[in-house]
Amino acid sequence: MKPRAFLPLALGVLIGLAAGLYYSWVVNPVEYVDSSPASLRQDFKEDYLALIAAGYAHTGDLQHTRARLSSLKLEDPASALSRLAQSRLAEGQPEAEVLALAQLAAVLGQRPVPNAATDRVASTATPSAPSSSPTPSPTATRTPTPRPTATPGAPFRLTDREQVCDLRQGESQIQVRALDASGEGIAGVELLVIWDAGQDHFFTGLKPELGAGYADFAMQPGVTYTLQLRDGDRPITGLSAPDCADDSGVSYAGSWLLTFQQPSLP
Amino acid sequence: MRFSSRLFIGLFIGILLGVLYGWVIRPVEYIDTAPDSLRADYYNEYVLMVSEAYAADGDLDLARMRLAALGPRPPVNTVVAAIDYGLEHGYSQLDLETLNRLVVDLRAMPPSAEIDTP
Repeated sequence: MKPRAFLPLALGVLIGLAAGLYYSWVVNPVEYVDSSPASLRQDFKEDYLALIAAGYAHTGDLQHTRARLSSLKLEDPASALSRLAQSRLAEGQPEAEVLALAQLAAVLGQRPVPNAATDRVASTATPSAPSSSPTPSPTATRTPTPRPTATPGAPFRLTDREQVCDLRQGESQIQVRALDASGEGIAGVELLVIWDAGQDHFFTGLKPELGAGYADFAMQPGVTYTLQLRDGDRPITGLSAPDCADDSGVSYAGSWLLTFQQPSLP
Repeated sequence: MRFSSRLFIGLFIGILLGVLYGWVIRPVEYIDTAPDSLRADYYNEYVLMVSEAYAADGDLDLARMRLAALGPRPPVNTVVAAIDYGLEHGYSQLDLETLNRLVVDLRAMPPSAEIDTP
């Protein structure tokens, strides 16, 4: 066959290839009907994350919650939850949703997340003793995990007020630690900050890497703040950036670390 | 062989290769999917999470909105289907009760609230 004889064949292949690709990519592409939560669009993924947190708030089943989180294939679920809690708080989303996100972020931030795949098996299958007879199919079980939560009715009291001079912080802050009677940090404690020109509220547990009961608020120089815990016994007034000095005597604005604790129940 | 015959043979081979490449070797990747395309187990897990969230916050409108992300099917039917799935796949009694509570409350909604106004 002469080389020229291949010309129509090659031309046909090219046109056919283009038509085939057009058909398979545009006209009738592969349809994914069995996708996983990891492939969800970002906003749906965030909704899914919020639902996981809400589910955990209802069931308290950490193993099952970890299994759900693993389906999203997040590198650092605690940080993702914490970021989402902060953005939802800023958006003015329902308080229950923000609290659920903050609490789950705090719980995950306290302990390393073990292999989720193992968790999935552990959370869905009930181990059975070796037997030659047919065993019933595995049944789903739920084991609520105890979480540090605020003791109802016990108001927080200021137990320590410490001036913090640390140049590495980069800004002047009101830092808060909310502890239960046994000294465990409590996530989801609401704090209200009031100053002359406005007010803001935030929650403990949004920075799980710093502890479940930790929260901070950036202070502006020259502004005096009042801090009130929603479950606190009295507001802390007159909070303004304290004066600190570095090694060479240059002054800078420091921070306050306020520790609140619930009293032991009689 | 005539020009047109060679062209058609080439076309046939080209289409075959194109479809093979587009469907098998490098299919379209969906990275921004919606919850209605979730696999059955994830789909029903989503419905369960909505019912758990509802059990926690009691916000029925929010639950309906969340269920709307799963497609145009009426929310009640979606949750009933999830209960059927749960019965088949060994959901715990607690899960089934949580789903059932949402169905009961969705059914108790006034009919006018079920109709979405533009």
